[in-house]
Amino acid sequence: MIDNLLLGFETAVSPENLLWCFVGVLLGTVIGLLPGLGSTTGVAILLPVTLAFEPVTALIMLAGIYYGSQYGSSISSILISTPGDSSSVVLTLDGYQMARKGRAGAALAISALASFFAAIISLIGLIALAGPIARFALNFGPAENLAIILLGMATIVSFAGENILRGITMAAAGLLVSMVGVASGFSTARFTFGSVNLLSGIDFVAIMIGIFAVGEVLHQIRRGGEKPIRAGFKDLIVTKEELARSLPAASRGTGLGFAVGVLPGAGATLATFLAYGVEKQVSKYRKLLGKGAPEGVASPEAANNAAANASFIPTLALGIPGSGTTAVLLGAFIIFGLQPGPLLFSQEPDLVWGLLVSFFFGNLILLALNLPLAPVFAQILRIPYPYLYPIVLFTSLVGAFALGNNSFTLWVVFFSGLLGYFMKRFDFPAAPFVLGLVLGPLLEKYLVQTSALGEGSLLIMFQQPISAVLTVAAIIAMGYPLVAAVIRNLKVRRQGKVAVDS
Amino acid sequence: MSPEVIEETIPPRNRPELSDVIGTTVLAIIGLAAMVAGFGYGMTVENGQVGPGFLPVVTGGFVLLASLAEIARLFLARTGTTDGRIMRTVGNIEATAAESVGLHANASEESAETSGLDTFGRTEKQRNRAPFHIFLTFGVALALVPVTGLIIALSLAVLYVLVVIEKRIWWVSALITLGAAAFVYTVFVLVLSIPLPTGILGLI
Repeated sequence: MIDNLLLGFETAVSPENLLWCFVGVLLGTVIGLLPGLGSTTGVAILLPVTLAFEPVTALIMLAGIYYGSQYGSSISSILISTPGDSSSVVLTLDGYQMARKGRAGAALAISALASFFAAIISLIGLIALAGPIARFALNFGPAENLAIILLGMATIVSFAGENILRGITMAAAGLLVSMVGVASGFSTARFTFGSVNLLSGIDFVAIMIGIFAVGEVLHQIRRGGEKPIRAGFKDLIVTKEELARSLPAASRGTGLGFAVGVLPGAGATLATFLAYGVEKQVSKYRKLLGKGAPEGVASPEAANNAAANASFIPTLALGIPGSGTTAVLLGAFIIFGLQPGPLLFSQEPDLVWGLLVSFFFGNLILLALNLPLAPVFAQILRIPYPYLYPIVLFTSLVGAFALGNNSFTLWVVFFSGLLGYFMKRFDFPAAPFVLGLVLGPLLEKYLVQTSALGEGSLLIMFQQPISAVLTVAAIIAMGYPLVAAVIRNLKVRRQGKVAVDS
Repeated sequence: MSPEVIEETIPPRNRPELSDVIGTTVLAIIGLAAMVAGFGYGMTVENGQVGPGFLPVVTGGFVLLASLAEIARLFLARTGTTDGRIMRTVGNIEATAAESVGLHANASEESAETSGLDTFGRTEKQRNRAPFHIFLTFGVALALVPVTGLIIALSLAVLYVLVVIEKRIWWVSALITLGAAAFVYTVFVLVLSIPLPTGILGLI
């Protein structure tokens, strides 16, 4: 472990990597600030720009954009009640209320401190767990890998929010889109409709740029906005009481965020809502939540960053993305010829550990940037949105072309943007769709291999202990919420009948 | 307890949004189409192993069934699918937060009604029409790529969006468009050496 950390340290502190880490977190903060541009969009748009870099440098920069945007999106939630990212939506409750009470600077400072605290604690967890999990996963065969992917998909169902069926349907729809082109291990072209461009499949990064950049930006156009609340440099001073109240909340948020972030498909947004829910139950000041309580800023913000870091565990150790943004990052790994998963730790130790150690420097830079400079970043919110979004669309389209060197990719982005716009407008969740899209090829690969091992029978999944446990867990995770919902509905209907009869 | 009181405690049936029903029906049709096509690709290969059509059939069938179940839920269910679960708490907080964001958005809409413009300087009418107008503009620009090249086509689209759709001052818009084009050219063509399409014109 120490050797690995030293190796990672050596990689992360090279002047080039430090510089691009700085650029990444700075760009991430700015991108996160802008309404409608979240971490997924930022990583997707800037991925093509990193093509000329060494893989480790590119990934350090892209990861910097990821956690940098977490800081940035909090600023817009607090100052204009318009979250830059869905994971900062809950901050609009207490963060914006604090700002309205003249404590905008303190809210920004608490948010930055809680983020840093959570980032460092969760980074320790990430470093401690990712390696052993990867080593354990080295023993996995196709059946175990297939079971893990199924469990990942099942997690999406369990955490799909109000509408479980819609979540899982979108994940399955993403799977269907991933099947376009020549099937891996076969020579049959599927869903290509005679188009040569579709033979090699649809580039999922292009779809993500369409859904997250084009779709989200255009959806944002339909919304108005609040005038930013001014936060001066002097306001950034946090009172002793605010700090004392924030620390336990940030600790709870960190623990919860980390636990949720490890699960594939759960994501940072869910972690923030759960953390806020926990504060509402256990905080000494729970009655003040929603009225500008520091706990309502510290806890979800810590959960957000902890979950973002934790989502790298399944991504790096198992090759299964934990969130939408890590799904795009997984795409970046593949573009650079790397396959995330257990073998990555033994084949590319300098890259993996360099990336993980860079998180520490990135968060340190972010704290140094955000504590004194948050009011400066906030000025970006004053740039009229109509000037920004055409440039975002321009860059997204050119970036997508650069990824595939193919004009067809432009149309993929265009139509995915249209799809993303309608998904956002009519509340069809994008995250399960994207996870289905990314996991599709892996799922099919392991399915074919498992079937070959079992000589046509997939029951082989129940013959080995690990895959059996994981498969049963996946079945329960997928089936339980649906069956429970049906039973609840039947009960309510029966109650209704009794009421009418009597 | 009187029947009236009991009836008051029973949640009413959902009234589905038309968009939900249409969207879910589209998904069901896609699932059905995928399933039918999957059978054509072959469910199994030799020794009964999984064939290229297996996953499309299973996934397509699943999408079809889940969509039909969702349509049934939209019309018949009296409660959400999350009652009694931890996700109910999450849902409640999400709703409060969405309300909070919506509240401020509504406030800005109200101010838009009174002043004619929102804080981004757009009228409500502009906001509603803009997404489709912008999609159309960029669609036309992409169709122009084989003629003008990528950078020129997209620059024209940006200029059109700024001047015509957003009604910004023309020379500021022109400067921003030129700046964006120069940035993209520098990063992608000069730094990354990516050969962007130059079209029949062959300029940049």
